[in-house]
Amino acid sequence: MAFIEARGIGRVYPGGVVANDRVDLSVEKGEVHAVVGENGAGKSTLMKILFGIERPDAGTLTLDGKEMHFAGPRDAIDAGIGMVFQHFSLVPSFTVYENVALGSEPNKGIKFDREAAIARVRDLSEKYKLNVDPMPPVRTLPVGQQQRVEILKALYRNARVLILDEPTAVLAPQEVSELFVAIRSLIEQGCTVIFIAHKLPEVLEISNTITVMRQGRTVGTVKAKDVTEHQLATMMVGREVALRVDRAATTATTEVCAVNNLRLLNARGGDVCKDLSLTVKAGEILGLVGVEGNGQAEVMEAIAGLRHVHDGQIVVANQNIVPLSVLDRRSIGIASIPEDRIAEGLATGATVAENIVATRLKDRRYVRNGLLDLRAIKANAAKLIERFSVRVNGPGVPVGTLSGGNMQKVVVARELSEQPKLLLVSQPTRGVDLGATQFIWRTIAAARDAGAAVLLSSADLSELLALSDRLLVFYRGRIVAAFHNREGLSPETLGTYMLGLSEQSPEDMRAGL
Amino acid sequence: MTTEATPTTPAPAAIAAATSAGNMKPPTRWSIVGREVGRALVALVIAMIATLLIVFFVSKAPVDALVTLVTAPFSKTRTIGLWVDDVAKLTMTGLAFSLVFQARQFALGVQGQLYVGAIAATYVALSPIGQTWAGLPLGILAAMAAGAIYGFLPGIAKARLGANEIVSTLMLNYIAVELCNFLVRVSLVAPGSGLLTTAKFPKTSLYPVLVANTRIDLGLIFAIVSVLTVWFALYRTSWGLKLRLVGHNARFAEYAGIKANFIMVSAMTVAGALGGLLGSMFVQGQAFGQLTVLFEGGFAFEGVLIAIVARNRPLAVPIVAMFYAYLRQGAQLMNIRSDVPAEVISVVAAIIIVLVASQFGLPSWLKRNVLGNRAGAAR
Repeated sequence: MAFIEARGIGRVYPGGVVANDRVDLSVEKGEVHAVVGENGAGKSTLMKILFGIERPDAGTLTLDGKEMHFAGPRDAIDAGIGMVFQHFSLVPSFTVYENVALGSEPNKGIKFDREAAIARVRDLSEKYKLNVDPMPPVRTLPVGQQQRVEILKALYRNARVLILDEPTAVLAPQEVSELFVAIRSLIEQGCTVIFIAHKLPEVLEISNTITVMRQGRTVGTVKAKDVTEHQLATMMVGREVALRVDRAATTATTEVCAVNNLRLLNARGGDVCKDLSLTVKAGEILGLVGVEGNGQAEVMEAIAGLRHVHDGQIVVANQNIVPLSVLDRRSIGIASIPEDRIAEGLATGATVAENIVATRLKDRRYVRNGLLDLRAIKANAAKLIERFSVRVNGPGVPVGTLSGGNMQKVVVARELSEQPKLLLVSQPTRGVDLGATQFIWRTIAAARDAGAAVLLSSADLSELLALSDRLLVFYRGRIVAAFHNREGLSPETLGTYMLGLSEQSPEDMRAGL
Repeated sequence: MTTEATPTTPAPAAIAAATSAGNMKPPTRWSIVGREVGRALVALVIAMIATLLIVFFVSKAPVDALVTLVTAPFSKTRTIGLWVDDVAKLTMTGLAFSLVFQARQFALGVQGQLYVGAIAATYVALSPIGQTWAGLPLGILAAMAAGAIYGFLPGIAKARLGANEIVSTLMLNYIAVELCNFLVRVSLVAPGSGLLTTAKFPKTSLYPVLVANTRIDLGLIFAIVSVLTVWFALYRTSWGLKLRLVGHNARFAEYAGIKANFIMVSAMTVAGALGGLLGSMFVQGQAFGQLTVLFEGGFAFEGVLIAIVARNRPLAVPIVAMFYAYLRQGAQLMNIRSDVPAEVISVVAAIIIVLVASQFGLPSWLKRNVLGNRAGAAR
């Protein structure tokens, strides 16, 4: 009997979505067990069941030979299970040790025993090679360190099993290797790690055993050493896949968008970027590279009209668009796929059809004399659902009940249903499965081939390298390097610029710009 | 595995539920409606049980009191009239709240709008115009305009200055209540009369009666028309879609090019017009036919309960209002005819609100044993 044994797990969400259907998972003690699968395959649901957030409708869960019935995460934590989510739950103004101890503080009398907490956090950090200083406030730490604070939180509560939900999604390549060092040392000390991921090379590198899920079921469990990336991908998708986009050589000449000497401010009045200039031509994809928070996202927002431009110009189709409203910008052919589909790209409580028509409420096909043409709206949504193969039971379904990949397809369908002049794309495939990723990539490439100028920002370097014609590296609001995307440009090269370790000479930069 | 040898009783049921769920269809609109209605009814039943217990504790003749509570509103034409009148007014306040809540604005200004609407209608009714046929329509329009302005103010203050709408609407409520107080005492009542109420409005300014010898008047028609109008505006016009999108996710609305601030202010203005109309329904209706200080007595806030239970759905508002008005009228009559005070109904209201707002789930044993078959059939 394995250490963690889940048998015949079934979970149906109130909306009727079958998230898990007779899922089996068995994890041996002291291994890194990866669970891979497309979005909507039911990985997250399974993990939420292991961590007690969701209760299964069917099936049994045993831990170390004992059957478990978690009423909530508290029970799972007591049983020695810890989970690190994609979105961290840390208090930014608190120090590392305060965050770790929060809720289970050691006491001296009625006082919080800070010394004990600091010592405990320091011990744990050293023991598991997490390399985290207990003293600084969490907000000053880079994302990779914050993630390790989350791991510390679980270890502090004596977790023997650690569930990591897509831990590498937010990390730069160097940070990923640091995380892997930490995971290996956790295993050496007798912990068990369950690792959810999309990126197959990483999965193969770190895990011992891999369970593949598809459409709410387990497809199979394999040893990492017996399987190739290609075989895994095939298992996940259920058909042959090629994660590649064929790009015709760009013949871009006409400039569509020029950003001149842009200056943006953050909420506290500090500079996000200053004197930033770039141009994008019709029929090319310009990749904006950089660790999150270095200004790429803000530049995109400024072009989309969602961020105040303090100084500088944004010229699209020979017109300064800074004074234009969002709607006016959309009507001259700017489309945008935002970074966070749930927070910004969709109204999850509204239906698919309502989400798709939301940007076209001045279009006479759908709205006449202020009245909605429900039939046309529904027909259009049905057509786009078909064309973009969104897996959904119809245009009247609330978007919030869809899986991440399908939600993203709704966004893409809305933005690319008509050919844009300038397309802004941020993190198009974050948390999106392989099949949908491939589809979204092809769609973006097709928009470019049809003459759109595309600005692409992504945390995933392989995505940027696969799609971009040119690449600009952002570091602290400045462009520190520019490349034409040719064979031989490696993620490591980009990584050194992303982390600010080096900077191109003006001549090299000019060649890339 | 030790537990496998001794299976617990619910296990087969759980497996059966899971397998049937395996071929479950996506939720249709009606299954969602069914679930919400079921939830509201269970809340009502629980609240009634609590009422029962309280009545048994406080009353010397508990059975009589309860019979009065449950049957009295339907006992006479006159009491049915009271009920219908209450339904119409509760529907209006429920609608006004639903509209702003759908735009996710927690504006609580219906009370103030009601007072300013009533004051405006009073000025028209007591002017020479009030004596003519124009008294009725002009009074209604004046009330709606006053209410709309009173809804617009906190909206624009939020859009321009970032003023929190909860605070500003509550403050405006006080101003309206005290303004009414002041005007009635100082200028609308003949000096020295000592009354806190104006003269009766002329017949030409009163709502025509629909059913003789009851309070059922034109207000009922207004309530029905308002329900349909608000429903149409929310679900069939682009303004309504924008409003709902702003309510779902304001950031998304901005990104899509919807002017969220404009939508917010307009929603609060339209809700204000409904509140103003309710003011006219009070003072120009058969129930009053005059302006009295504090005539509303906190009635407007009942709309919050109605909107919450109706989940801000305009078509559900009158249905919830019917149930709630029945309870209110039953409690009033119980107050008069027995030794149980009408305040008992606040307990019912509070329990319903807590249960519905917390989105309580039915306990699983209840679902399995009692509702299981019915729910299965509904699919």
